[in-house]
Amino acid sequence: MDRSLFRITRSGWAGLALAAFAIVILPSISSRFWLSVFTSAGCFTIAIAGVAFMYARLGMVSLTQVGLMGVGGWVALRLNYAFDFPFEVNMALAALTTMVFGWILALPALRMRGLYLALVTLMAAGGLEIIFATFQFPNGGDGFWGVQTGSGEAFRRPWIAQSPEAYLRYVIACAVLGFLLIELHRRLQPGRAWALIRRSEAAAMAAGVNVTLYKTWAFGIAGLLGGGAGALLAGSLGLLDDGTFRASESVLVFALAVVGGARYWQGAVVAALLYKVLPPLLNNWGVDADLAYIIFGAGLLHAVITAPDGIAGQIMGAVKGLSRRKERADA
Amino acid sequence: MLEISSITVRFGGVVALNDVSARFDKPVNGIIGPNGAGKTTLMNVLSGFVQPSGGSVSRDGQDLLRLAPHRRAHWGLRRSFQKEEIADDLTVFENVLVQIDNSRTPMAEKRAEVERMLDLVGMAGRAGKIGADLSGFERRLTDVAKCMVGKPRVVMFDEPAGGMSVDESRELGALIRRIHAATGAQTLVIDHDVELIREVCEDTLVLDFGRRIAFGPTADVLADPKVKAAYLGTEEV
Repeated sequence: MDRSLFRITRSGWAGLALAAFAIVILPSISSRFWLSVFTSAGCFTIAIAGVAFMYARLGMVSLTQVGLMGVGGWVALRLNYAFDFPFEVNMALAALTTMVFGWILALPALRMRGLYLALVTLMAAGGLEIIFATFQFPNGGDGFWGVQTGSGEAFRRPWIAQSPEAYLRYVIACAVLGFLLIELHRRLQPGRAWALIRRSEAAAMAAGVNVTLYKTWAFGIAGLLGGGAGALLAGSLGLLDDGTFRASESVLVFALAVVGGARYWQGAVVAALLYKVLPPLLNNWGVDADLAYIIFGAGLLHAVITAPDGIAGQIMGAVKGLSRRKERADA
Repeated sequence: MLEISSITVRFGGVVALNDVSARFDKPVNGIIGPNGAGKTTLMNVLSGFVQPSGGSVSRDGQDLLRLAPHRRAHWGLRRSFQKEEIADDLTVFENVLVQIDNSRTPMAEKRAEVERMLDLVGMAGRAGKIGADLSGFERRLTDVAKCMVGKPRVVMFDEPAGGMSVDESRELGALIRRIHAATGAQTLVIDHDVELIREVCEDTLVLDFGRRIAFGPTADVLADPKVKAAYLGTEEV
């Protein structure tokens, strides 16, 4: 067994420490409102990790991620009302269904790159937005779509995470698993293949890499994470609303992944905090939450012009600079 | 023996390769020609990146043109590009390992083979460095090691000595000559550096405007008046 596969980097330890803090401390100091906000941020962290992973590993721009969350949420809700499966089974099936959806989406998109790929995925997000707006999300009604007027039965949460505090812990644990899944791929054969594809598709083919397979694989992982995040969001809110899964939200989520820093796990966390925590924070301070959009725009300009690795890249750069300075001082 | 028969490539109205044939049976072979002669196009045909409108390429009874590009690599075709295609965020070791990732050989054997080839090219001490931290020559050496793993049958170099110093070019030439002994693979080298070709290649194919103008032992080919005319031009009278 390759020991380097299980090596924990400094960044990994920092992630585990943050997760431990978020699991142990955060739920006990948060009000009910902030528990809900942090849980949503946790769900979006997972989804953003998926879209950031595709961009960082393969240079592929996917503007469907929030739509894919919607697919996962829809499947989880449908299964919840149709069967008596535990939450974990519903979530796993929702994630797997969305992964297959990601593969299907990948088929036409594989021949395209850059702007054209982004446009194809944006059109898919637009299509999903229309489907969600037309058929709504299941709430315990009859038939395939499972929609009824008025509120239905409550959504079943995991038996170990019935309270809001426990559910936030559960979501954070799932986010950690999502990051570990990405990191595991990065350290194994797919990660090497993706690195070479990003360098040059011709070089990847010359090295025996099946470019179509590995690009499809990446779409599948992004779908899996998006679907899982959608199921978790459904578990958090109990019901889903089509307004959450608009195509414009997918664009915003991708932009924030760039602002946060797509190459780093910290980038997904920063992006989710900006997306879900900043607006209510501004509201709390008596400032119009729409100001967040101006901050996002400024952040995006900053990332595009001066910080291609985003806020996380700048933090990592500063940490490296400090440790180098310390090493020099010690020497 | 690598046999190229009547390869023709057209890009719209331009005939990039016109009925080119050659039988490479020596361990190290060269392909030379002035700019636009069709050398890289021929390499792209062999790699599967360009589909010829006619002709065939075979080695050991395998029609290479029937295989997808990545399947040619699995079969044993290796290609080094004009610009070393080394992933910046992979280590030297990983950059080489990716070439045999698809192989069903146990991982321990794969790792041992990568280590052996890195040692052979003189990069064993830098195996843990990431691509971004390598010099141009180190990147090229990594590329050579990549071409040597996984029991290659044909290794192709497209202007490998571009941008190198004389010493580096000489070292690279010596390394290319050792590929056959180390792996059993046949090597094809494209380069403008006639000295490198003279030093390492036994047979050489010369292309000009997509046509074969000479093929045979390198010394004879380089002395051929047609080849000199193609490189240096002819005096207008």
